[in-house]
Amino acid sequence: MRMSPTIDNSKLALALRGLVKRFGGVEALSGATLEVERGTVHGLIGQNGAGKSTLIKILAGLYQPDEGSVEINGVHHDRLTAHEVEKLGIHFIHQDRLLVPSFTVGESLFLGREPRLAGLPFLDRRAMRKQAEDILDKYFSLRLPPNVLISELTTAQKQIVQITRALLDKPSILVFDEPTAALVRREADILFDLIRRLRADGITIIYISHYLNEIEALCDRATILRNGKDVATVDSRTTPAAKIASLMVARDIDEMFPKVAATIGKPVLTTKALGKAGKFRNVSFEVRQGEIVGLTGLLGSGAKDLVRVLFGLEAADIGEITIEGEKGRPRSPVAAVARRLALVPEDRRGDGVALGLSVAENTTLASLKRFTTFGFLQRDQEYSEVDRLIEQLAIKTDGRFAPVRTLSGGNQQKVALAKWLSRQSSLYILDEPTVGVDIGSKVEIYNLIGKLAERGAAILVLSSDLPELIGITDRILVLYRGAVTREFKSSNTTPDEVLAEATGAHVSRHGEHSHVG
Amino acid sequence: MSADIDTLLPYETGGDIRRRIAGSLAGFALRGGSLLAFAALLVFFSVAAPFFFTLGNIGNVLGQSAILGVLAIGLTIVIIGGGANVVKGGIDLSLAANLGLSAAVYATIISAGYGDAVAVAGALATGALIGAINAAAVVVFGIVPLLATLAVMNVVAGLELVLTQNTVVSASSDLLSFLSAYGPFDIPVLAYVLTGFTAIAAAIVQFTPLGLRLYAVGAFPEAARAAGLPVKRIVAGSYIASGLCGGLAGILSVSYLSGSTTGAGEMLLPVVVTALLSVVFSRRLVPTIGGTLLSTLLVGFLTNGFQLLNISSTLVSGIQGVLILLVVAATSLQRGKGAV
Repeated sequence: MRMSPTIDNSKLALALRGLVKRFGGVEALSGATLEVERGTVHGLIGQNGAGKSTLIKILAGLYQPDEGSVEINGVHHDRLTAHEVEKLGIHFIHQDRLLVPSFTVGESLFLGREPRLAGLPFLDRRAMRKQAEDILDKYFSLRLPPNVLISELTTAQKQIVQITRALLDKPSILVFDEPTAALVRREADILFDLIRRLRADGITIIYISHYLNEIEALCDRATILRNGKDVATVDSRTTPAAKIASLMVARDIDEMFPKVAATIGKPVLTTKALGKAGKFRNVSFEVRQGEIVGLTGLLGSGAKDLVRVLFGLEAADIGEITIEGEKGRPRSPVAAVARRLALVPEDRRGDGVALGLSVAENTTLASLKRFTTFGFLQRDQEYSEVDRLIEQLAIKTDGRFAPVRTLSGGNQQKVALAKWLSRQSSLYILDEPTVGVDIGSKVEIYNLIGKLAERGAAILVLSSDLPELIGITDRILVLYRGAVTREFKSSNTTPDEVLAEATGAHVSRHGEHSHVG
Repeated sequence: MSADIDTLLPYETGGDIRRRIAGSLAGFALRGGSLLAFAALLVFFSVAAPFFFTLGNIGNVLGQSAILGVLAIGLTIVIIGGGANVVKGGIDLSLAANLGLSAAVYATIISAGYGDAVAVAGALATGALIGAINAAAVVVFGIVPLLATLAVMNVVAGLELVLTQNTVVSASSDLLSFLSAYGPFDIPVLAYVLTGFTAIAAAIVQFTPLGLRLYAVGAFPEAARAAGLPVKRIVAGSYIASGLCGGLAGILSVSYLSGSTTGAGEMLLPVVVTALLSVVFSRRLVPTIGGTLLSTLLVGFLTNGFQLLNISSTLVSGIQGVLILLVVAATSLQRGKGAV
């Protein structure tokens, strides 16, 4: 599907065609094409895993494609290296600002191409200061004290320093990778103005973002990637955001979500006007017994932070948390566990399971008290519980003493769940429960979540896998830039609709903007 | 568009701001305080011991500090290029052992009847070789510098024992006599050596593009890589430079002690202390060559002042320990990592 007429080849600054890139057996790109017209701002969008970063790494010369061609300004290039890419005038503004905190602005701008005193091997610090001032003033009307250190700058100022560094090389193509991820709204506006000015100067810009409203506001054209292919290239000024959102989501949702009807009981978790500066604000919701509530939002939406606050890993600034009728925000994970909360974290290898310990040790780690008499572990009691859980969760292992390291990702995740089952928690918070898990284990984990709900547990699932979220939950809360902007009934929504909400497509619809201040 | 970015509010929470204020206060106190303390110390000793503030005495302190200073400058280069993280960052524990072996090589060559040129070349080559081994261990094999240089330290100390059979190798030569003599103004030649060496090292590290790149590599290797710098080569170079400092210090120590003696390893802690103290004498709280000279002299003047006042000089090492604790605590606070 190609929505815009093919662009005249001579106008193309960049053409990546039919790119295929395999990592082992996995195809990260399967025939992706990106054509960018000179002097335009071109958006590149797609969900996590759509292939955006692989494509960009090929352009940066960091990966070599297995198939496909790379053309820059009409010249074909085989096996680009990072060094050649830079020579061709292609520069990347990375999400993380790669600047030395203890350097001055001038030192940061000129690192690697320092001006020297004529005829001497020494730095010309005066020239460095002067040129830094001039160029910042020229491009951004920005006056920074010449000796200010990078560590004293705001995030937006650091980003400007980084962009200026790239501009010093007189680039022909600038690639912005999620540039607003760490910016507040006002800073983002300044960045947008800047990008428009760069376009006016004839620089071609590739803009990668999750935020559809940014694509709409900023880009001339946008290419949507899905499953390693470009599904469409659209005129982003006239294409509705909802349309783009629907292009981003895969349509093949199979019937893999066994939804068990559980009886909904009393509220287990209630939050009122919960807020944390810079993360989220005014979050009020409840999760009841037997209920599975979904929570989703992009990186930086505050969803992750909300989960961390609920489990006592971070402190909220304001608001109220009630757990099983008892008010009070958990001050630590220990306090959260004491109030029968369970967290299955996303990074299971880092936080969820102890890889070197056995299945048995991991399973009963959080509930050793139950198996302890006079301070001694009652091994037989412990092991019978472990064996029961191994059977119940269908954990594939060489017995209870096998180190968790030897298990597959899905089975590791089941052990992480078993740890809390053995504690009989009342509220389970599952953070991306099926990331990196094979399809078979996914279904088993979904079944398990359903069974927990059936037994009266309250469950909060944080996931960016929208079909999954819709499949297994009763309700879905969407966080966008720190606020719950909408609640969907899972039986009554589609991944497109949820994604449009999470990516801010609703913002352009309502003509307003919400963000954390 | 006039991007009035200066007026943008920083995006930080109350906690961040409090931490930043605490951090910059600690930084200010550290920078101002340490210079003030140094000055106060000099004033105190000058008043308490009239001989203290004379050209002769100051020259003596400089001369006595030469060996420590050269080693500490070597270590400073490694710390700049490897980052100041005490556990994972750049460190060269083999420096003191390097001094021992280089001195032994120098003394052995002289006592075997060769001239100064051969001996100097031998000592410097020994130092550079030790530096190259450290560089390979850290850069090629990716061993944490703390462990890599610890292992090399043991090997080097063992080689010194093999070479000298754990005895004193006395040596005398024209160069050694020149180095241990007094120069203009009745100031030891070693004092001039230290001053000159510091000036050269400072010129390279603080005033050339290479020096700036060294700082970038140590402070933020990813940023340095993104700026197109050969990170590994620069780190390797810092260890070789440090090794050369060890070789030079070896020559100086042969002249100072009229031969090579055992026990060079005892220099290690004073060297580490001196290099770590260096940060308090710089505006940005980073190690600098000038800062290292000042901290070398601080230690030197403390020892000297105590001797003049007949106070046991063993107290000096206790004071050094306290200083290190203060410096490390204050710099961690300043970097906002005080609360773990």
